[in-house]
Order: sequence, then structure tokens, then C-alpha cells
Amino acid sequence: MLKLMKYEFRKTWFTKLILLGITAVAEIAFLIGLYLEKETTLGLSVLLLVFLALGGVLVIGLESVVTLHRDLNTKQGYMLFMTPNTSYSVLGAKVLECSLSILIGGAFYFALGSLDLTLLFAKSGELNRLWEIIQDFLSRMTFANRALIIDMEGMASFVFCLLAGWILTVITAYFAVVISAALLNGKRFNGLLSFVLFLALSWFIGWVARIATASIPSINVLLLVDGAISLAFTAVMYVITAIIMERKLSV
Amino acid sequence: MLESKEITKAFGSKTAVDHISLSLEKGHVYAMLGPNGSGKTTWMKMAAGLIKPTSGQMLFEGQPVNIDSRRKIAYMSTEPFFYAWMTVKDVGAYYADFFDDFSWDGYHAMLRQMELEESMKTKTLSSGMMAKLKIAVTMARDAKIYMLDEPFNGIDLLARDNIRRCILEHADENKVLLLSSHLVEEMEAIADKAVFIHQGKLMEVDDLEEMRVERGASMADRYREIYGHTEE
Amino acid sequence: MQFNPSLPIWTQVLEALEIDIVTGKRQPGEKLPGGRELALQFSINPNTAARVYQELEKKGLCSTRRGMGTYVTEDTARIFALREEIAGQAVCQFLDTMELLGISRHEAAQWLLKKED
Repeated sequence: MLKLMKYEFRKTWFTKLILLGITAVAEIAFLIGLYLEKETTLGLSVLLLVFLALGGVLVIGLESVVTLHRDLNTKQGYMLFMTPNTSYSVLGAKVLECSLSILIGGAFYFALGSLDLTLLFAKSGELNRLWEIIQDFLSRMTFANRALIIDMEGMASFVFCLLAGWILTVITAYFAVVISAALLNGKRFNGLLSFVLFLALSWFIGWVARIATASIPSINVLLLVDGAISLAFTAVMYVITAIIMERKLSV
Repeated sequence: MLESKEITKAFGSKTAVDHISLSLEKGHVYAMLGPNGSGKTTWMKMAAGLIKPTSGQMLFEGQPVNIDSRRKIAYMSTEPFFYAWMTVKDVGAYYADFFDDFSWDGYHAMLRQMELEESMKTKTLSSGMMAKLKIAVTMARDAKIYMLDEPFNGIDLLARDNIRRCILEHADENKVLLLSSHLVEEMEAIADKAVFIHQGKLMEVDDLEEMRVERGASMADRYREIYGHTEE
Repeated sequence: MQFNPSLPIWTQVLEALEIDIVTGKRQPGEKLPGGRELALQFSINPNTAARVYQELEKKGLCSTRRGMGTYVTEDTARIFALREEIAGQAVCQFLDTMELLGISRHEAAQWLLKKED
């Protein structure tokens, strides 16, 4: 399993390296802007960092879906499926590698964001306007029509909920990709059908999660429960997908 | 050792393998013959566990092929399949990671024989070098069954001698070797059995030396007899 | 070695070994390569190689010592007989061709004598 994960990481590490590189550049720009008090540089770098934090985990997830698609539909798949590993291990390695990457990536950006905000706050006297914009932005954030609590705990819960939701979305996409390769292969509207399936499933799971969490009074608890539900569905989707692969998949 | 029972694979409306019952016994080198699209590759991929049959069974030592059989069956596909980022060394490391029967010594010896360097990138290999690399890494395993799909494709005349030698080095009384190739004459002397497949169906299995004694026919002669009238 | 694929490979290898034995390239009592080694030397199937030794032994041209390997026979009379056998076959082939061309045995003998190297 670890070996499989190693190769899953190897397939995608280049993108992650690039993300890290761009983030480093943005962070340096941020620090320069902050301490040399160049407002434009600071504003742009904050924008870029926010964009990277949101886009980074998005890219990681998307790339893992594309990698799975490639492993199921090109000759490269022989490499994976000729090895003495069950579909449970093959898919499990992908799910774990991708989930860990998303979680670690998310935690990294969260930590970086917290650090930068702290630095910004310390200098907020001189940079009032930007600080106000950020505070205003944070206070407008809601989840399930409820305002978030703007502190470390509230934000961490929110980030966890988002990341877990994104992991679930990625695994749902895995499911659709596997259905497409294993069951719909060669059929008409294959791509469209699997995409519709993906949307329908995502909607259904979202609906279940909304109902299950509707009566939770505390927003922080709600976020955590919602995240946990996402992870539980992730596990279920993983098992179903692996069973289909094991029984039906031809590469 | 490897047996298919009424195995069938349909891709949509096209039947690639049509109720083939075939048993491969240890101690033999089989040449699998048939025109393009006759079902050789599909049969091999089912034996490798890459393709699941529509109906019928593929048995390795009496058990349906599964994860365990992949440990003992070394399969080499026609198409290159290594990851684009791999060097020749990475390819070996990958096999070493997943196959307990992989031998670095054997791999290095074959790389030398095939004039390949560990530092070469698979992305930039010529088709001939890629073909040699596929053989080297596959044959560096100490498997029970070796299935090589088109091992001579894209390989020049001199290197083919190397490949034949490499194949023969692995042939012994406890193993099965299954080769498919359009280059029938390359396999005349190294194979002792011929399996003829046509349009997904098994035509016949011949003992080559028996066929030469009894009918004065080579594998290529028989190939012409079987397929000659069906191809334009 | 190039084989005629329409003829049994084992007979072709057998003939090659016989020539080696009568010409002394492989001496009486000399150890012959093992079956696998023979297969590799001639690039032939191991079962074919095994068949070669079976036939060679059947013809009394080699002997297998258990666990030791296969050796060329030390029976020089047998090797001499093999030499005559091969020579006889060559003559027969020659005469067959001559007959096909309508050349009498006497005439054929003249051909042989006047043939320059």
C-alpha cells in the first residue's frame, strides 16, 4: 500500500512542487509588501495567496481525478493493474494519497494564512484599509446560511469542513470515472452519463448532509459534523468504487 | 498450468475471444499465432488479469486468475506502458517494489546485453530500445509463466538473437512461455508448440516437431494453410 | 545455425553434432554441453535439444552418466561406422541427382574424378 501511495505521489508531485513554488513567491511578495509598506504589492500578494489557497487544493484534487482517468483508459494502466494489488489497494492508495495531499495542503495554507493575518494585524495601524477589507470579508462568510465564528477554532472547523467536502467531491468523481471505464465503456454518451451521475450523487449527498445537520445549533459543531459526514460518504464511495473495479474493470 | 475454459470476451458487439478452451502445460514454449485482431492479445490480457472475461474462466494452477496469479505470471504487452517520468532504473525499481521474484542482477545483465543504460529516460527511447527494455524488465522476473506479446516487434535482426537467447534462458521444465509474434520465422526453432487463433476462435494446437516429421510443414507453412485463403 | 523450418529441427542439430563427432571437433569421451546449454548454443527449444540427445544416445554416439552429463562415445569403431554412414548418404544423394540427370554410374564416376577443386 505504501509503495502504491509512493507512486501515486510520484505521478503528481511535480504539480505540487509548482504550487509550492508559486506560493513561496507570493509569500515573499507579501512580506516585502508588508514590511516595505508597498500597498499594491501587498494587495496583489494577498489576492494571489487567497487564490492559491483555494485553487491549490482544487488543483490537487482535479489532478488526481485526471490521473485515475489516465490509469483506467490508457496503456499506462497496465503498469498499475499488472502488479499483484487488489482494486481495494490500488484505489485505496489513490484515495489516501489524494486525501492526505488535500488535508496537508489545506492545513499548510491555513497555517500560512493565520500567520500572515497575525503579521498583518500587528501592522494594522499603518495598513488599516486592507485589514478592514479582510475583516469585512471574513464577517460576511456563512455556511448553511449561518455566520461563521471568526476565531481560530471557527476557521479551523470551516476549513476542515471544506476540505472534507472537497475530498468527497474528488472521490465521487473517482466513482464516476470508474463507472465510465468499467460499466459504460464503449457505450454512447458515456462521458455525459458519468458526469450526470457525478452531479446527481453530489447533490444527493449534499442533501443528506443538509438534513442531517439542520438541527445542530452550534455552527462549529455543524461544520465538524458536516465534514465527518463527508468523510463517511468518502469511505462508502471508496468501497463501492473498489468493488466495481474488482469485478468489472478491464484496462 | 494455465487454462482457459470456454473463455469469451466481447467488446460491445464485437467478440474478440470466442469460447476458447486452451490449456498450456509447463515445460513448453508456445507460439501464439493469428492475424491482427484475431484475439491473441485479448486472451493474454485475460490471463494477466487485466481484462475480465464476458463469460468462461481463466485458471492458473486450477484457480481463477487473481492477485496471486499476477505474482507468478509475467506479462509483457505490445504497447509501451511505463510512466513517462521513468528512467530505465526507475522501471527496474518499480518491478522490484511490486514483484518479489524480480532480480536486479538479472535486470542489469540483460540491460548490458541489450545495450541499455540505467540513466536513459523511457520517454526518449527509440521504439527498438523500448522493446528491449520491456523484455529485459519482464524477463528479470523469475515467474512461472511468461507471456510476451510481440517480443520481436521493432527489434533489429541482431538484437533478435539476444531476445531469443533471453527467452530460451528462461525456458525450463517448470515454466510456460507464451509468445505471440507476426515474425513467425523468429519463433520456429525456439517454440515447440503452436497455437493458431482465428477471429477469436481456437483453430488448433500443434506440436511443431511432430508436424515437421509427419507433414514436412513448418509453422509458417501451416500458417499459410490456415490463413492463406481467408486473407486477401 | 540456419535451420530449414520444414524439416525437424532435432534431425538438423543431430546431423551437425554427428559431423562434429566424425570430424573430431568433438573428441571421443568429450563432455557434450548439457541440454539447456545445447538449446542456447543452437537457439532451439530445450525439448528439441533433449530429443537430440535421446536420438544421439539411441544411435550409440553418446552416453549419459547419471548426474555427470552427456559424453561422446569412446567406441571409435562406432564413430568410424558413423563416418561411413554419412559418406554413404552423401554418395547416395550424389547418385540420385546423377540418375535424375540421366548420367550413368560409370559416367558419374568420371565426373567425380575430373572435378577440379
